[in-house]
Amino acid sequence: MKAAPLNKKFWTPGVLVMLCFMIAGAIAILGRFTGGIGYVTNLSNARPWGLWVGVDVATGVALAAGGFTTAALAHIFGRHHYESVTRPALLTAALGYTFVVLGLLVDIGRSWAIWKPMFNWNFNSVLFEVAMCVMIYLNVLYIEFLPIVAEQFKDRVNLPGMLSSLNSLVNWILKTGDAILNKTMWIFIILGVVLSCMHQSSLGSLMLVAPTKLHPLWYTPLLPLMFLASAIAVGYPMVIFETTIATSSFKLDPEMDILTPLTRFTIYLLGFYLLIKTGDMIYRKTWVYLLDGTYQTNSFLVEMICGIALPWVMLLFNRVRQSRTGIFIAACLIIGGVVLNRVNVFIVGYKPPISEGTYFPAVGEMLVTFGLIATLMFIYRIAVTFLPVLPGSREVNV
Amino acid sequence: MIKKLFLPVILIIVISGLCLANSWKAPDQEKAKERSKETVPFIKEYVDDCKINRRICLMDAKVSLEDVKDVYFLLDSPVIKEKEDHYEPVRFAHKRHAALTKDCSKCHHFRPKDKDALETTRCSACHQDAFNPERPERIGLKAAYHQQCIACHKDEAKGPTGCKECHLQHVPDHKELVKLPDNADPFQVTAECNRCHDAQAEDMLKTAHWLWKGPSPYTTGHRKDILHGKGTTALNNY
Amino acid sequence: MLLSRRNFFKILGAAGASTALPAGSAQAWSSKAPDDPYGCLVDLTRCVGCRKCEEECARVNELPAPERPNCQCTIFEKNRRPDDDAFTVVNRYFTGRIDNFNKPVPTYAKVQCMHCQDPACVSACIVGALTKDETGAVRYNKDKCIGCRYCMVACPFEIPAYEYDDPITPKVMKCTFCYDRISKDGGLPGCAGICPTEAITFGKRSTLLKVGKKRVKENPGIYLDHIYGEKEVGGTSWMYLSSVPFKKVKLPGLPETPSPKLSETIHHSLFSYLWSPIALFGVLAAFMSRTKKEADNPDNKGGV
Repeated sequence: MKAAPLNKKFWTPGVLVMLCFMIAGAIAILGRFTGGIGYVTNLSNARPWGLWVGVDVATGVALAAGGFTTAALAHIFGRHHYESVTRPALLTAALGYTFVVLGLLVDIGRSWAIWKPMFNWNFNSVLFEVAMCVMIYLNVLYIEFLPIVAEQFKDRVNLPGMLSSLNSLVNWILKTGDAILNKTMWIFIILGVVLSCMHQSSLGSLMLVAPTKLHPLWYTPLLPLMFLASAIAVGYPMVIFETTIATSSFKLDPEMDILTPLTRFTIYLLGFYLLIKTGDMIYRKTWVYLLDGTYQTNSFLVEMICGIALPWVMLLFNRVRQSRTGIFIAACLIIGGVVLNRVNVFIVGYKPPISEGTYFPAVGEMLVTFGLIATLMFIYRIAVTFLPVLPGSREVNV
Repeated sequence: MIKKLFLPVILIIVISGLCLANSWKAPDQEKAKERSKETVPFIKEYVDDCKINRRICLMDAKVSLEDVKDVYFLLDSPVIKEKEDHYEPVRFAHKRHAALTKDCSKCHHFRPKDKDALETTRCSACHQDAFNPERPERIGLKAAYHQQCIACHKDEAKGPTGCKECHLQHVPDHKELVKLPDNADPFQVTAECNRCHDAQAEDMLKTAHWLWKGPSPYTTGHRKDILHGKGTTALNNY
Repeated sequence: MLLSRRNFFKILGAAGASTALPAGSAQAWSSKAPDDPYGCLVDLTRCVGCRKCEEECARVNELPAPERPNCQCTIFEKNRRPDDDAFTVVNRYFTGRIDNFNKPVPTYAKVQCMHCQDPACVSACIVGALTKDETGAVRYNKDKCIGCRYCMVACPFEIPAYEYDDPITPKVMKCTFCYDRISKDGGLPGCAGICPTEAITFGKRSTLLKVGKKRVKENPGIYLDHIYGEKEVGGTSWMYLSSVPFKKVKLPGLPETPSPKLSETIHHSLFSYLWSPIALFGVLAAFMSRTKKEADNPDNKGGV
């Protein structure tokens, strides 16, 4: 079950649809960099953060959690059985974080100044810590990914045209890099897990500085813990989601022997998340809001019931865990719950205390977000086509 | 010949008359101007009396309308002028206000602690610079004028309360600004006004002066027209 | 890849040495407010709604002139907020009070940055582009700013505005407390200097609190016994006196805890000296070395 490049046709209708989204997103980004953020978004002085922060950044980081959770499981806790899913999860994480940074470049007004936090430190700022962690972690992810590139191209470097004179040099870099990493990879694996825990939790701390602006259903001192718990809980469902999509669209072996045991962990992790969320609600007596019928409360109810409780109960049944459709649905619900949680904390639950009016993302904002997601999927597709990421040997013919 | 001399003579008389008129100045106005340029020593300590006591004191001192020598003052002072100069000073009819209110304590609300000082001192003796760190609760002269005048006018529902009801603003000379051809038609005049005052023109379009559609009982020749009005048939170029 | 005990401690030591971060110690949170800041006391009973402060603010800070500067009527029909073109605006509120002639009495309220004692925006700013100055002014340095707008998310008064139509160099725009003027001797903020009725009193914050309390005490029945900004979010440099409830003039009810307190406390207790990441690294490394040893042990081969 060794990972190998896919041997499939690249241009499918799905890829063409992705291309359309990418072009539309590119046009919207062009608008943002010529007319300003106000030109393509519905953001205002009362609503400074919207879809781009809530989805591109916060959700992107959360959903990339598969990378460090599987790495921890397979490499640190020694469950080598799961090693076959670490590579796709790692690829998703590397791509996810790359696009978090790209999303940030679009969202921050002075994109050219994105390097400034490296030299201007504010240790009181949660965002500073998040930025530093994301920056280092992105590099760690690239380093972790390097052996995969090395495996494919070692001794086979063949650059086109003029660059061919560099062939031996690139080959040498790949080989030594790979050799060094072989010895030191454990540092990066642990570092990846540590950095992830740091900024996954700190993303939750972001809103702690605005106690009067976030709805009490979400505002709690436990926000960092909840963000961390939900990120860890969503890691394996994310792997299930990806693997199921990839194996079914590329017609590979569904790998149920790996996915089903993964869900066992999810029961505990998601259960813990459900427990602290419910416990916090009871302890702070915020359940009084639950039935007041505002869209915020309803959004919270959907998050709690459909996004956490329902998939948790589903996974308790062995029949669901054994069924490919069953775990896929449960995984989708969990992912949806975490996405909704991030959207709730950064968009729905955010209420400016003075200005009235609600925020709904503008078409331009959505196009940028969809465009970035489409580009991510496009590159994933390129990567799995040309690099040994997905387990290839047990291909089935349907 | 006499006829030819007549015109220059008339001109000389008119011009010399104008010169004389220019050199003549109203004495009370000059006095008020001079007074508004004075500064008086700052009174640091005052008697914090209640209103009734203050009235009794003024009665005891036999302060009456007869004591009001000046018909009017110009409410101005170098204390204000050195900070800003946006508006012309207000002409305050002191005697008229005294006669109308019949209560000097309304403005002369405290007196200096110094026993020998006059019962009524001028505003600028106590109120000078704003935000004096040694006397943070003492308001400055500009604020003293404005608070006193506006508050009283509001209480009495009498007298002006808006900026330009008391002050003339330093308006730039429109002779320099307006650029119109000779014999300009009404539309050209309107366009020239709107060149700078477009916001006012927009406001005008929302007022009854522009939108009125009811009867115009005071318009000569149209007293009986019901469906007449600026909004429909009248020529509305201003 | 085997991690011996000795190696493990070496790593810990190296990691510890590399994290010689400035002391963001895990001690109890303490306010970083300046000792004797300036402030302004806005007395809403004195404001007559002339909007001269708006005009002067725009002139002093080189902003576009306010919309219809001389209008004291139709401009008040819509409630305005400070934005990237105006650091301060005056709004009119009818709060239900009537005068002796049964006419509703307007209350005018000026809005601008409150210059909090412990500003949430300063705590939030990723690069420290916002700073609380000794004068009390919360200052903005556009050369550090990256435009992330976290300050706007953090501000409990919704004050910082953003140049949303600038694609490359948008700035955060907010009242500067006329820092360049008040840091000079005898200098006044533009608005306080121009105000015809001294509705804005400028001075040391401590003095203003005394003046405000005296004013409340000496005018019973006129003022509410509450100086808005004395305790709100730990205190603000700009404070308000009013005869009508502050909520009715859109000054939000706020807790007395400084906004950054909770987030900074949690953040520092988790990450000061990077103790938690280092500890986690150590624990995970220990785990990894143990599982590795188990895997290398021939007896356990095959077991996963």
